[in-house]
Amino acid sequence: MLEISGTPGNCWYAPGVSETLDDLEERINALRREIRQAVRARESVLARSLRAELRSAERAWDQALAVHEPVYEPGDETGGEPGHGTAHGPGRESAHERGDRHEAPGSLVPVREQVHQALTLLGVPAAAKMIVAVHAALRAGSLKGAQLASLRRDEERSFRTSPFARPYYLCAALTDRLSASRGLLAVSTWPLEQRVVGPLSPRVDFLTTAIRVAEHIMRMVGAGEQAPPSAQRLLSRLAHNIPGAAPETGRYGRGAGLHLVDAGTARGGPEAGALVVDGFPGSDPATVVKAARAELEVHAAADTAARAEIAGRARDRLQDAERLFGGTVLGLARKEASR
Amino acid sequence: MDRLDRLRGPVPPRPHDARAIAALAANPGCARRAVLDAAGVDKDATAAHLGYPAPFGQSPFAITRGNAFESLVKESGCAELLRLLRELLGLPIPLAAYTDLGDVGGNPSAQVRHSHTRKLLDKAARDSDDAGTLYDHPLLRLEIAGHSAYLEPDVVAFRLGGRFHIVEIKSFAVVDGQAEPDKVAAAARQAAVYVLALMNTLEELGHDPRRVSHEVVLVCPENFANRPAATLVDVRPQLAVLRRQLARMARVGAIVDELPPELTFDLAPDADGVPTRPVAELREAVRGVDARYAPDCLSTCDLCFFCRDEASAEGSTDLLGRQVRDALGGVATVTEALGLADGSLTPGEGQEEIARLLRLADRIYAEVG
Repeated sequence: MLEISGTPGNCWYAPGVSETLDDLEERINALRREIRQAVRARESVLARSLRAELRSAERAWDQALAVHEPVYEPGDETGGEPGHGTAHGPGRESAHERGDRHEAPGSLVPVREQVHQALTLLGVPAAAKMIVAVHAALRAGSLKGAQLASLRRDEERSFRTSPFARPYYLCAALTDRLSASRGLLAVSTWPLEQRVVGPLSPRVDFLTTAIRVAEHIMRMVGAGEQAPPSAQRLLSRLAHNIPGAAPETGRYGRGAGLHLVDAGTARGGPEAGALVVDGFPGSDPATVVKAARAELEVHAAADTAARAEIAGRARDRLQDAERLFGGTVLGLARKEASR
Repeated sequence: MDRLDRLRGPVPPRPHDARAIAALAANPGCARRAVLDAAGVDKDATAAHLGYPAPFGQSPFAITRGNAFESLVKESGCAELLRLLRELLGLPIPLAAYTDLGDVGGNPSAQVRHSHTRKLLDKAARDSDDAGTLYDHPLLRLEIAGHSAYLEPDVVAFRLGGRFHIVEIKSFAVVDGQAEPDKVAAAARQAAVYVLALMNTLEELGHDPRRVSHEVVLVCPENFANRPAATLVDVRPQLAVLRRQLARMARVGAIVDELPPELTFDLAPDADGVPTRPVAELREAVRGVDARYAPDCLSTCDLCFFCRDEASAEGSTDLLGRQVRDALGGVATVTEALGLADGSLTPGEGQEEIARLLRLADRIYAEVG
């Protein structure tokens, strides 16, 4: 576990969110309002998670007051790499033990925060399964798939009740038809181009995911840390489906003539042989990054154009809430009209 | 088609799914099944009312396993599938587009989805460069005896070099390059239904139906791991059987015409949907159409237990499986076969050869025993 630098006692709450005392008070009020509405609507799950948020917000307020300092300010949260390799970042809260908190580390941070961390690391819209896998592998988190099931709906309800009250929302990725893409989660602070899904975007997002995971492992190794085996396993799984990234590159290119990366480069490298996961040769992060970039280049132009086109349409036609959570109502109305 | 409506009774016809259509092809000689399916009779309810409910349908565990494997293959924009297709068919790297045809903006009715599928397939067939590669959740339509059945290949149709391929994802394992022949055959039959539906769709749209490949990509877990592997399966024989069977269903009129005009399989359900028709009467009605029972029916037909019971009551050689029945050509019942074997029965015309073989077998058994 890492030691915490900076101001102890207040940095565990809401990493990636900068809030002053005024903000916190406003937020506590907003949360109380939301809880009241949730209770009235008999949304017990939502109410419970909001209560947890409220408690952490109150705690953060206490601590912020105690030290007369603004709460922990992270870096740019859209930057995609919230302080790995340093003592910042959400992984280290567990090291900070207070007398009143003896729970498992993962449960301290609300689910939406954990999802936000994973998504920020990836920088692309991702399915619940991938978010859970990335969080488990790189953050040692205890996220469960079922916890994510109603997340997007809850976020949408919260947004529609009081728009833009939260610093970010976990929202939908938009498809070609401007509706919410099935199962994909994204962050509202991302530019629209990053959140739309064109025909090539699933592949591009997959390759980007692999690059981000590989880079994260490289940063960990660079900081003198041992990448956890789960992270290596995740990387190997991703690399397996990228031509030239998996250790046995020989299987690729047969018939297809695909040699984006030399088999020599892929196999070679003195450290490549040293990587062993579960008795199998693991993937070398640098090779994965190189191979994924090579394929990414092939798709980049077409994908960017498609994304720009969809994003442009979304800007023209959708209202704020629909832009974040998908324009199903609009789609239906159009269909009714065309009948 | 009035006649078929009368056979079914005043209930809406049962829609066909790919499994049911594939099962038709499995036993093309069964008139009972052909008539009941053409009329869209609810065979499950009929069997239950007759007192032979079939514990039919896939096990929930198998369904869960199948879905989990399918989602693994389709994960992250079909990342696994792309790898397999690149290895197997040499799919070029730039062809990686993934289109979800299931997404129609919040209106999931079959018509809307089908017309969306048609539109995109038409576009794909027209321009060869710009169109997508993988199409997930397409909804195809196949005309079965005057009714249209909507088919959803759990499967992805993809385009390579101007040809469409059907991808069938199945969760049975291929161990050391070998899979259970029954399962492969069933998968091939099911895939053939999709191939045929896709061919018809292209033909309706004015494209050459031969642009649908008769080679289906079968994706299964490899060996004892969960890693998917792909193989090409030629479904031409299954396609031929299916075409013949569907044509036969279209001409089911000929079989129906020979049936007594008052015949009906109406269950006469009351307001709560509980069948009120006397069981004996229904039994007679169902017996009115000849069945050809085979042991494989147990895995494909709702009426299997009824037909099996009927076959065993008659002492029919059908019970012993297709091979035995074919070997005993011209001998209808087990008693007759035994009679010929021990010589107590004189062989009729054309039975001399089979009688000689049966007697030989009987002598060998007697000597060994």
